[in-house]
Amino acid sequence: MIFREVEDRDLIAKARRGDVEAYNLLVSRWERRVFNYLLRLIGHREDAMDVSQEVFLKAYQNLPKLDDAAKFSSWLFRIAHNEAFSLLRRRRPEGDFLAEPVSRAAEGRLLPLELSLAVEGALNRLSSDQREAVLLKVYQGFKFEEMAEILECPVSTVKSRLYTALELLKTALSPALLRGES
Amino acid sequence: MNCTDYDWKAYALGELGGKDREQAEAHANSCRACREELAGLRLTLDALSTLREEEAPRRIAFVSDKVFEPRWWQRIWSPTFAGACVIALAVVVHALVEPVRVDRQVDAAVAKAVLQIEARYAAQNQNLEADNDLLKKENNRMYMEKTGLSHQ
Repeated sequence: MIFREVEDRDLIAKARRGDVEAYNLLVSRWERRVFNYLLRLIGHREDAMDVSQEVFLKAYQNLPKLDDAAKFSSWLFRIAHNEAFSLLRRRRPEGDFLAEPVSRAAEGRLLPLELSLAVEGALNRLSSDQREAVLLKVYQGFKFEEMAEILECPVSTVKSRLYTALELLKTALSPALLRGES
Repeated sequence: MNCTDYDWKAYALGELGGKDREQAEAHANSCRACREELAGLRLTLDALSTLREEEAPRRIAFVSDKVFEPRWWQRIWSPTFAGACVIALAVVVHALVEPVRVDRQVDAAVAKAVLQIEARYAAQNQNLEADNDLLKKENNRMYMEKTGLSHQ
């Protein structure tokens, strides 16, 4: 992980000097993570793809403004967060962004094989703030402090959103989990 | 410490380290309620991990994208190049401005010299005119003496 961070730092330095190939390599390393974060947050593949493209374009243009290359990942996800919420606000000015869950498998009786669909449905029923907290922590592995930087809010807010989300997920998934255990 | 003092979500999410983690584990070993709380959280996190990452429908391409290529001035721009540009500009400005400055100095010097020469010639003319007047008077006097004429 440390070796990887050093390599990223080198690539960032080269990209800052206009080395497009170095930036391409950086993109190839991060595009899957950024795309999946945006896909779960936005809930639409094409939109997630378009926003991913926009994120990497803005990241390239603003690379000289990145003070600490070691914070590239949280900086990149902050751009992704801003772009995603910009789209979601345009799409739906108020209220929850994903009112209609992609899957309703978590409701009612569930089969064990439907667990991943149940998870998808449960995630989509969270508020966008709660869902994002789960995405950043559980799927992207950011620390609370890094999440606070990405979301530009206090650590206490990050924990509050995440802990509430985990309680809701625990309740929503319990039928599937019990069914899977039986 | 009471059960409520332990942050099991932070523990399950890997946010506790060192002494805090050891204390939480020691408490969980002796507290059934906290063990169950932790087990429920782990089960939920395990369920969340079943959601697999998806492949992007297409690659984010940059090599062929002209938007991402640096502009011509970004390619050549560097501190060394900037310094060279400043020096070159200074040489060009000097080359253009200096001849004008020299021409003005020469013109002023020539004008001054002309004035001095003209003043010198004017003074010489005055002296020559004065000498000429004296000679005229001397000639008149000698003519009067030879002819015996008095000028009275």
